[in-house]
Amino acid sequence: MTTKLSINELESSFAKIKGLELLIGKIVEEEWDEIVGPTPYPSITDLRTWDHRLLQRYEPFYSPLCDMCCLCTFGKCDLTKGKKGSCGIDIRSQQGKIVLIACLMGAACHATHARHIVNYLIEKKGRDYPIHLGEEIELEAPLIRLVAGIKPKKLGDLEEVLDYIERQITHLLSATATGQEESYIDFESKALHAGMVDNVALEVADIAQISALRFPKGDPDAPLVDLGMGVIDKTKPVILCVGHNVAPGSEVINYLEKSGIYGSVEVAGICCTAHDLTRYSTGAKIVGPLSRQLIFVRSGVADVIILDQECIRTDIIDEAKKVGTRVITTIDQVCAGLPDMTKSPIESIIKELVSGSVPAVLIHDPAKAGEVAVKVALEIAPNRRARIVSDEQEVLDAILRCKDCGRCRRNCPIDLPINEAVYASHEKNFDLLAEIYNQCLLCGRCESECPEHIPIVSAIRVAAMEKIRNEKYKIRSGRGPIKDTEIRKVGRPIVMGEIPGVIAFVGCANYPNGNKELVEMADEFAKRRYIVVASGCAAMDIARYKDEDGQTLYEKYAGDFDAGCILNTGSCVSNAHIIGAAVKIANIFANRKLRGNFEEIADYILNRIGAVAIAWGAQHQKAASIATGANRLGIPVILGPQGVKYRRAYLGRADKKENWIVYNARTGEKVYAGPAPEHLLYVTESKEEAIVTAARLVMRPNDTNKGRMIKLSHYIDLHQKLYGILPEDLHLFVRTEADLPLTMKDQLLKMLKKRGWEPMELPDPTLLERQIIRRE
Amino acid sequence: MVDKYDEFSEKSGITGLERPEFPVDVGEMYEGERIRKPDMYLEFGGMNVNKKWELVLTRPKDQLEDGKITIIGPDLSEMTPGGSYPIGILVEVAGDKVEKDLEGVLERKVHYFTNYIDGVMHLNQRYDIWIRISKRAYQKGLNSLVWIGKILAWLYKSSFPVIEKIQITIYTEKAKVEELFPTAMDTWSKRDDRARTLKDEEVNEFYTCAMCQSFAPSHTCVITPNRIGLCGSVSWFDARAAYNIDPNGPNFPIPKGECLDPIKGIYEGINKVVQEKSLGTIKSISLYSMFDNPHTSCGCFEGIAFYIPEVDGIGIVHRDFKGQTVNGLTFSSMAGHTSGGTQNPGFNGIAIEYLRSSKFLQADGGWERVVWVPSEIKERVKDSIPKHIFDKVATEVECKTIGELKEFLKSREHPVVSRWKVEEVKEVPKEEVKEEAPEVVLPTQLPTGIEIPTQGGIRIILKNVKITAEKVIIKREKS
Repeated sequence: MTTKLSINELESSFAKIKGLELLIGKIVEEEWDEIVGPTPYPSITDLRTWDHRLLQRYEPFYSPLCDMCCLCTFGKCDLTKGKKGSCGIDIRSQQGKIVLIACLMGAACHATHARHIVNYLIEKKGRDYPIHLGEEIELEAPLIRLVAGIKPKKLGDLEEVLDYIERQITHLLSATATGQEESYIDFESKALHAGMVDNVALEVADIAQISALRFPKGDPDAPLVDLGMGVIDKTKPVILCVGHNVAPGSEVINYLEKSGIYGSVEVAGICCTAHDLTRYSTGAKIVGPLSRQLIFVRSGVADVIILDQECIRTDIIDEAKKVGTRVITTIDQVCAGLPDMTKSPIESIIKELVSGSVPAVLIHDPAKAGEVAVKVALEIAPNRRARIVSDEQEVLDAILRCKDCGRCRRNCPIDLPINEAVYASHEKNFDLLAEIYNQCLLCGRCESECPEHIPIVSAIRVAAMEKIRNEKYKIRSGRGPIKDTEIRKVGRPIVMGEIPGVIAFVGCANYPNGNKELVEMADEFAKRRYIVVASGCAAMDIARYKDEDGQTLYEKYAGDFDAGCILNTGSCVSNAHIIGAAVKIANIFANRKLRGNFEEIADYILNRIGAVAIAWGAQHQKAASIATGANRLGIPVILGPQGVKYRRAYLGRADKKENWIVYNARTGEKVYAGPAPEHLLYVTESKEEAIVTAARLVMRPNDTNKGRMIKLSHYIDLHQKLYGILPEDLHLFVRTEADLPLTMKDQLLKMLKKRGWEPMELPDPTLLERQIIRRE
Repeated sequence: MVDKYDEFSEKSGITGLERPEFPVDVGEMYEGERIRKPDMYLEFGGMNVNKKWELVLTRPKDQLEDGKITIIGPDLSEMTPGGSYPIGILVEVAGDKVEKDLEGVLERKVHYFTNYIDGVMHLNQRYDIWIRISKRAYQKGLNSLVWIGKILAWLYKSSFPVIEKIQITIYTEKAKVEELFPTAMDTWSKRDDRARTLKDEEVNEFYTCAMCQSFAPSHTCVITPNRIGLCGSVSWFDARAAYNIDPNGPNFPIPKGECLDPIKGIYEGINKVVQEKSLGTIKSISLYSMFDNPHTSCGCFEGIAFYIPEVDGIGIVHRDFKGQTVNGLTFSSMAGHTSGGTQNPGFNGIAIEYLRSSKFLQADGGWERVVWVPSEIKERVKDSIPKHIFDKVATEVECKTIGELKEFLKSREHPVVSRWKVEEVKEVPKEEVKEEAPEVVLPTQLPTGIEIPTQGGIRIILKNVKITAEKVIIKREKS
């Protein structure tokens, strides 16, 4: 790539040159005439002022899982009661450090995923392959434009963005070592930075694969595809892909297509790679979210499992071996102690796998892995029945060993009454166990704890067999980005108070009570004509429930970015489009420049865009980094009860009036704008609390009266329906009488007056002094 | 949280929302409710019913009995469940400040207010209405249309304090619904005529709309009888009504002041207001020109009028148009040049309704200058396109490229062709590539042997110099 010009010696009338060497790394022809903002490719400290401003309002609140620091050999250090560790660290900073490490794990996963997929696609299509997301998407990469300050036109342009991301991750990670960063606020600022680069990595990965792999391009009518444990046709050879990187799975489909046998082999997926397989080909099937791994693998239905990266159970290969399923790992993040056969001749790999002499291998080449998987599956599928010895009797016998000691329940992450259910099945009553299945995360922790070694997950599978067979659902395949025109279209109804906000359901499957509550939440908001978006495992779990008409929410609601619709953006990396939509609004409506202009856009989003994410089952470190990135841009995130184990929330204090002062950009005056949005990262304990909190957090200081009116009417209505009373903090969100819902105006006004409520100004809100408009 | 509130409730004596007693709940949050056939108790209007209507009329105060609700024909409880029935809803209002021009604005509220009722769905307006009552609502006690009348009356009075008296009559008797239908049609046609023929010069004040300033802070719409808000939702009548109801709201009057240019539509009063609102950024706007100080654009305009220099004509594109327009650009890419509250000559955000205005871009030639319109839009506004020009305006069906457009316009003798003669002599200057100095130069090692003479001719001497540029960016100079 480097252009080099050397002049050893030149003597002319104009110049005398000796030993000149001119090296040019890259020559880019740039047609983007947008002015470069203050922070293209921001360093760790470039956005620190913004972070501190945010953190001053939304103070980090820590809930340590452990009071000890065990990170160096001086430790363990007890950090309780204000004690400091041997390096001088206190508990807050130690927690900030852990949070930063978690965000870095997440960001590193996405960066690696993006690097792998970009490399793979460049190898396949070339560096000059165009980034193109369809005619109606002009703003192809809002986050890359915003952060990197470039407008990527070709796959090759993404490499420099990845270089930047990887550099940031290294620098941030070094700050977590002993003897580096010490302030908890700066750990948080760094976590926000990690979150931001994470979000950019998501975008890199997804726009690369959408452009180069025939995925839907922001299509509201993306096809409905099959999802569920019951949709897999067991009469065919079955190849299961687990993880996030679509490359090997898409090569399976390529090979099947090339051989003319696509359709006679089932290609299915678990977790995000499943989303992306259906985006690649509608014939692929989704087994379900990551929680389905253990139970599905134990069923032995898969002939071959391809593992790529992230969210893969580390015992999956052992479990696969037990049922004779062959395993191919494909990405260097998951080598699993397996022999590397990347360079071996295809036929010998197949031979080893088929015979079972080597039941699991590592193949670093997606195309080769795809071909091997198909050939092995075709060979071994006919013997599947012989391979799987039914464990049903064994399971039923094992159940009888249960002494009802209760250790399973105590070790259950969500406290399910497993012991009662297992014990009840002694009397051949399997209803309770089948009931457990509805809520069970299928993590298997109960099994590990059981002193009698009862295979509890298998017992649950046996009890719920009928249910599992009937798990046949439809999900709209991940459509990717939001179209520019859709953004324009919803502008008017949002301003006029017809759309109360945007609610995004994101994250993993670590739910307190099964996926049904998630479905109910999505339904509630769609019914109320919020714009509902979903991604990742949450998007899958929304599909895993049918209403009385036998429809999933994806069949019931349209897939547009519009009031009363539910759209699936796609896999984890498609979260970029949800965050990107907020960035697009700033550019499309207000013509705010994106290029290297993070702070201004974050300020715009925080103060104006009523979007909230609910990560009801957030579990992975990636969810932490995605959410933290959204937070830096001013998008609040609500976590389910398990989210408390992320150890940190960003909480606003509605009672401290001074925390909610903004500039009125039109006058430069500092004014109180109310606690909106009240929190940036908030843990809720129940579905009801999450719903009401989301309805509250969509409020923004810039809301028009009509906009606030519709937001308040839902907030009040939901609060009354779910808690039976009016919200106690209602008066904080009413700025003028015109904010009050018409149908309750008189009554509310009376109440407000008793509370000493007084009307306040509606400013043109900003936290940035430089945004104050100077009169010309 | 709960305890604290109860304590407050006790003190205040309010434990819930006091509201008029209705059998079902009423609130803004029910607006999006859809009632599917299996859940429906019965329906009014819709596809199975020939005649149905809703109408708001203003009356002298002494002719109305406030709050009177009358049902003419069978009531809900007397109807067979599952059926589709005719309906006519007549809302009569009176008040010192209730002008006849308010009727249209009030009439559209029937849709919203009816939808606020839990268990009632209302679609469309005027002669096209469709109302469904859910089984659940009926079982809860919504068993008479009187309730709907009462709820409407309450909502009208609480949202429009200018209404002093309101009387609602609901007709369900087929003969009666049909008998009054022509009256309703006549009212609408007169109302539409007035709306379309009312001219900017006939009113004393225009209105601003600052609704979308919440997202586009630098934009202000100027709304006149001849120029509806760019989003297509706020007409002069709407703005006027909104101001009458809430003088502190987002719409307020602009005294016209002196008309500085009747063709371009430049008014002293408008200029004063936009200067104030834009804090001096915008000095003047022309209501009816897209070239000379055009009106600024928000983000939610319905369409764009765009200049096509190759044919010296104007193209129109609407938000739902898929793919490339005749100049090779999509709506979205042109929208980027249009929005953001700045004046962008050659790009003008518009409402589709503006295409029907008699002053539509009149300074630039109006329809005589329009050369390309999406077929969907051409069909939608066909009655407003001057007859002699209709066949001369191309759509995506006839022309997909500028080349095809040129041929089309020539063959149809479009008026813009006469403007070309002068133009054709000119040549388009070629774009030049300008190489800029490297943006990032690191590391630059220039320690030894550099001599740059300060007088006479320049002679550069470089010895053992290494220049490394991470990246060189080449920018095209704008032509």
